[in-house]
Amino acid sequence: MSPRSETTAPGPPSGRAGPVAAGAASVLLLTSCAVLTTGDRLDNVPHDVSTDITDEPVELVVAYTDDPPVTELVEGFTELHPNVSIELQQTPFSDYIKTVTLAMSSEDPPDLAQYNPGAMRSLIPGGYVLDLDPYSEAYDWEGSFPAASLEPLRADEDAARFGEGSLYAAPGALSVIGVFYNRELLAKAGVEEPPTTLEEFEEALERVAAAGIVPFDVGGLGVGGIHLWNALLNAHGDGGAYRDWVHGVPDSTIETPSALEATRTFTRWVEAGYVPASANATSDDDARADFATGSGAFLVTGNWAAFELDEAMGENVGFFPMPGVDADQEPLISGSSVSFVVSSQTEHPDVAAAFLDHLSSPESARIQLGAGFMPVDTDVTAQEGGVLEEINTAYTRVAEEEGIVPFPDFVTPGMIDRLTPGAQGLTSGTLDEEAFLAEIQTEWDRVHGR
Amino acid sequence: MAGSALLRRGREETRRRPGGRGRGGRSRWRAWLYLLPALVVYLGFAVYSGLNTLLFSFLHWDGFQTPAWAGPDNYARVLTDPLLSGAILNALVLIVFFSLIPIAVGLLLTGLLLGRVRRGMTFYRTVFFLPQVLPLVAVGTTWRWLYADDGMINQALEAVGAGFLTRAWLGDHDLALFALGLIGTWCMSGLCMVLFLSGAQRIDPSLNEAAAIDGAGPVRRFMNVTLPGLRREIGIAAVITTIAALAGFDLVFVTTNGGPAGQTNVPALLVYRLAFNEGSIGAASALAVVLTLLVIVLVGAIRLLTREER
Repeated sequence: MSPRSETTAPGPPSGRAGPVAAGAASVLLLTSCAVLTTGDRLDNVPHDVSTDITDEPVELVVAYTDDPPVTELVEGFTELHPNVSIELQQTPFSDYIKTVTLAMSSEDPPDLAQYNPGAMRSLIPGGYVLDLDPYSEAYDWEGSFPAASLEPLRADEDAARFGEGSLYAAPGALSVIGVFYNRELLAKAGVEEPPTTLEEFEEALERVAAAGIVPFDVGGLGVGGIHLWNALLNAHGDGGAYRDWVHGVPDSTIETPSALEATRTFTRWVEAGYVPASANATSDDDARADFATGSGAFLVTGNWAAFELDEAMGENVGFFPMPGVDADQEPLISGSSVSFVVSSQTEHPDVAAAFLDHLSSPESARIQLGAGFMPVDTDVTAQEGGVLEEINTAYTRVAEEEGIVPFPDFVTPGMIDRLTPGAQGLTSGTLDEEAFLAEIQTEWDRVHGR
Repeated sequence: MAGSALLRRGREETRRRPGGRGRGGRSRWRAWLYLLPALVVYLGFAVYSGLNTLLFSFLHWDGFQTPAWAGPDNYARVLTDPLLSGAILNALVLIVFFSLIPIAVGLLLTGLLLGRVRRGMTFYRTVFFLPQVLPLVAVGTTWRWLYADDGMINQALEAVGAGFLTRAWLGDHDLALFALGLIGTWCMSGLCMVLFLSGAQRIDPSLNEAAAIDGAGPVRRFMNVTLPGLRREIGIAAVITTIAALAGFDLVFVTTNGGPAGQTNVPALLVYRLAFNEGSIGAASALAVVLTLLVIVLVGAIRLLTREER
């Protein structure tokens, strides 16, 4: 790249572009190859694990994206341990995977970072995140965290298969999807009680539509369509097969009879007009705002919307998990968590682990509830009724039966880009059910092999 | 592209300067010295990153772990994936909306404004050019609401008794691409008009007067005097708008994100997804290289067509 090399070649300027480009290319090839060579896997198993933490001043850095609840949870911990000060580094979600991957693999990584499956596929194989099994044993996290919330945070050494292997993160707040409903609109349509089976739900939808009310607000431009399909998938059961599929267990498939049945229910609802034709042009934010202002009777989304809907609609909003085909079948809800990993290069693994342990405390549970999330400690329940309590009750029931499963876009980093257009195709009636499932399975095969 | 144009212009300058060629070794050195700052920036940020992309396109790499040599694998994937051919086809359709229609509209507006509007020209120019100044993200968000089920476009249709036509335009399987294209038309027409107006004002007025004396009406004068005089501006407008159509990302990302069901996928959107959602830097780079080649071929063709005969 030295300017001299550009001027050594004789002749008019016009003849120089070639040599200059060639010179630049050779320099580039050399430097790039040097940059691209990275070292071996780091040692990521902690030694001398202790559940006592130091009284000396400690400074930790936490990289994260979701607020609430991260700031509040961190403050709760530092209040308890005044000698620990924590610096927060927030990145918007759209840039988070890239940023956290680069930061955690750098020379000077943050001590803790919010978990993200996409980032883990690079960070775990490199040994950049701490294997938390020794701490899990020391603190008995299997006893203090709900099992279903820890399961997706386990992975093998190559991060090819999730759901088993070492524990790499601990959850700080949990989320689930379900059905929010507008009480006034349901009463107007003559629907008295929230449905307890899928059949009852379809009857309710029929009545709502007959009363001239929009049944669902769906943000099909975003993930709204996926959530509706996912909730129906849960309702049709088959939790074991789905769980294997999400975790990348060899030979798993989504092309099962129950998934096909769920997808057919989705398209039947589209054809009946329960999913509005405008869904594909509606963003998640717009769908939520429409529902909050009384447009549709139902909205399928996560409890992260609960706080906002509670503020906007008050007593008028309710929540139930998508009901199953049979009233007494094993309940299943898709959910995820705001979880944290520890850097394998941190100087204070014991303090970081103490922070993770604190996430399962009753004090943290109250913070998690206050922020609209489900608490890790399910013994703590929401005080004041309303929709938050309804979500809490529903969640606790499903969590106790270990019915919380990960979201389908967890499967591969590119899955969201198959699911979104797929759900849109189902909504516009241009994609049939089998083709939709085959498309998703192709993406699964591409990453996990058959 | 900008760089090579610069070099070419520089060459023309050199040729015109008398004595510039003789023993001009030292002046040439000095010329390079003046070019140096721009050259360093250009090499560092355009050429270097471009060549890097080319290199990445031959790797299996997630942007992070040790990369592995991929040979032509990424190109094979990119060229055989039906998603990609669909996206390129969509981009070609968008050229009609981003380039052809705006040039036609720009010419029409130029013909209407030229010579007739004496006062308020700045006003018209500002109004029509405004879309160029606004960030595309704001433009996209605004249009998404205009096109929405209960948006202004449907309200207007209902007001004139065309309620049967209303729909969520950007969510319509068959019409989303055209609806998206019209946003591009809105953005690009003003740019074309401003380019053409400034070009038309440079045309020698005596040509127009002579044509008028010979009895040519306004339409005839526009076709025979103004239009040929705008050849270069039309070429520039076509190049800029075609690149916007082929390489555009932000507008699609905010309005439809490729939906519904991939009907408005464009190559740049897929590059983004491959790189940042899927973590396949190699495949993303290969697609970017293919896209660049496509732009070069089309822009080359446009320049050939609009070249002035000497």
